[in-house]
Amino acid sequence: MLRIILVAFDGSEQSRSAFDLGLEIAAKFNAKLLVVGIISLPEPAISVEIDAMLDHGKTHFAEEFAQLAEKAKEAGVPFETEVGVGHPAEHILRYAEDNHADMIVMGRRGLTRVTRWILGSVSERVMRYAHCPVTVVK
Amino acid sequence: MAQVWFLAAIWVGLALIAVLLAIKLRISTALSEIVVGTVAQLIIGASVGTAFLGAQQSWVTFLAGAGAIVLTFLAGIELDPIVFRKHWKEAIVIGFISFLTPFLGCTAVAYFVLGWPPRASWLVGVALSTTSVAVVYAVMLELGLNTTMFGKTILAACFVTDLGTVIALGLIFAPFTIRTAVFVGVSVLVFAILPWLTPRFFKRYSNRVSELEAKYLLLLLFGMGGLAAWADSEAVLPAYLIGMVLAGTVGKDHILIRRLRTLTFGLLTPFYFIRAGSFVSLPALVRAPFVFLVFLIAKTLTKFMGVYPLTKVFNYERKEGIYTTLLMSTGLTFGTISALFGLSHGIITQDQYSYIVATVIASAVIPTVIANAFFLPRHLLPKTITEPDREAATTGAPESA
Repeated sequence: MLRIILVAFDGSEQSRSAFDLGLEIAAKFNAKLLVVGIISLPEPAISVEIDAMLDHGKTHFAEEFAQLAEKAKEAGVPFETEVGVGHPAEHILRYAEDNHADMIVMGRRGLTRVTRWILGSVSERVMRYAHCPVTVVK
Repeated sequence: MAQVWFLAAIWVGLALIAVLLAIKLRISTALSEIVVGTVAQLIIGASVGTAFLGAQQSWVTFLAGAGAIVLTFLAGIELDPIVFRKHWKEAIVIGFISFLTPFLGCTAVAYFVLGWPPRASWLVGVALSTTSVAVVYAVMLELGLNTTMFGKTILAACFVTDLGTVIALGLIFAPFTIRTAVFVGVSVLVFAILPWLTPRFFKRYSNRVSELEAKYLLLLLFGMGGLAAWADSEAVLPAYLIGMVLAGTVGKDHILIRRLRTLTFGLLTPFYFIRAGSFVSLPALVRAPFVFLVFLIAKTLTKFMGVYPLTKVFNYERKEGIYTTLLMSTGLTFGTISALFGLSHGIITQDQYSYIVATVIASAVIPTVIANAFFLPRHLLPKTITEPDREAATTGAPESA
């Protein structure tokens, strides 16, 4: 039984597709949709850059989430948002656990093998450690 | 004049490359700029000549210096005066010891182990005594610890550590003359007046398109910076202190801070960090890599010797204590400022500068990785942030739990 569906959203085309899929599933199962955006900080950080990224991130997600809220309202799906700060995969996993999500839906960027090796893949990490099913949208 | 514009284009071009690299590799722009500066100087130096990049040109030096001053001011203004007043004993004791033990320990290592001259050794002690407030803050943000009293107290302690570094940098290498007395006297007067004068002045004349507030602050920073330089001290010392005394007033004006940040980030700090990177000698690092390793171990160990016992005095559990100590072993901005000060004043050679900067960069990354991997105090992590906790985080009021 799917009661809570968590969608990881960063504004990319893939994450929008993930949201649309999550919305459709939530509507079919009368589930709640929880959308999570993560502001990823650079490493190692300096204060000026952190504050700039936090400001930019909050504004960015506020605008994006307003549009998503409209879509959820039209579909009649209960909708909540969260904005976290830090490593995306860790936060997605933590939000999913804390909110007892029954499914995670997220997008996947087409990273090259080298880039994936250097930077890691958020979707792969979430798939490996999630406590619930994970649907990845390309 | 054409030469100046072309050179400016090269510097801004390097800054653009650094930003693109930072985006691709998800590293901080500051680190990327240091690396780009190092590589650019290596390539340009080998192909055209070491002076081509113009890092010693007066206008480049001015922009870089202004970047360091405003960056330091913005660092000081982040202090949370409410938390500091509430936990001042813990913050001062942990912060001061966190400064003192690596300051003395790393100085001793440089002098007795590596045989560096006394002034260079003191400079090493200053550069490696810092704690990166930004690195600690980033980790706290990620874990939500920035809303807990534990996190806020640690952040306050970091300010004290950096205050020790800045004061040491400003006073140790300054010859004590009448100029020093004038500088100290004027500084005390200015710091006493500013918290009273600034909000009144802003209230009367602010919120105009002419950016009066920014001009007022830059006047203060450049004026006091000039006075510090005249007294053979360091311009970032008054900048940090001005930031701290104005943290409770100007620090709350988010829009003003954002405008200053745009100026700093968009124009000034690239010149600072690229210039800092351009002085790093990769051949020196390759010739003697163990020097930077010795310094990195010395910094981390001395921080442990100082900070960890104190965490026991304040009843931190083992994991919390080690986590706190590792986070306070980080450092970036003030470390590079100190190293550049030493190089500019002939206190250290370029090779010594390279070892110090490499250590500073490594210290910004390695301790946080270890801390988060093995010593994360999970029981302190809030499950969810409730509305009362959000309000408490904003107002500094006591938390709900």
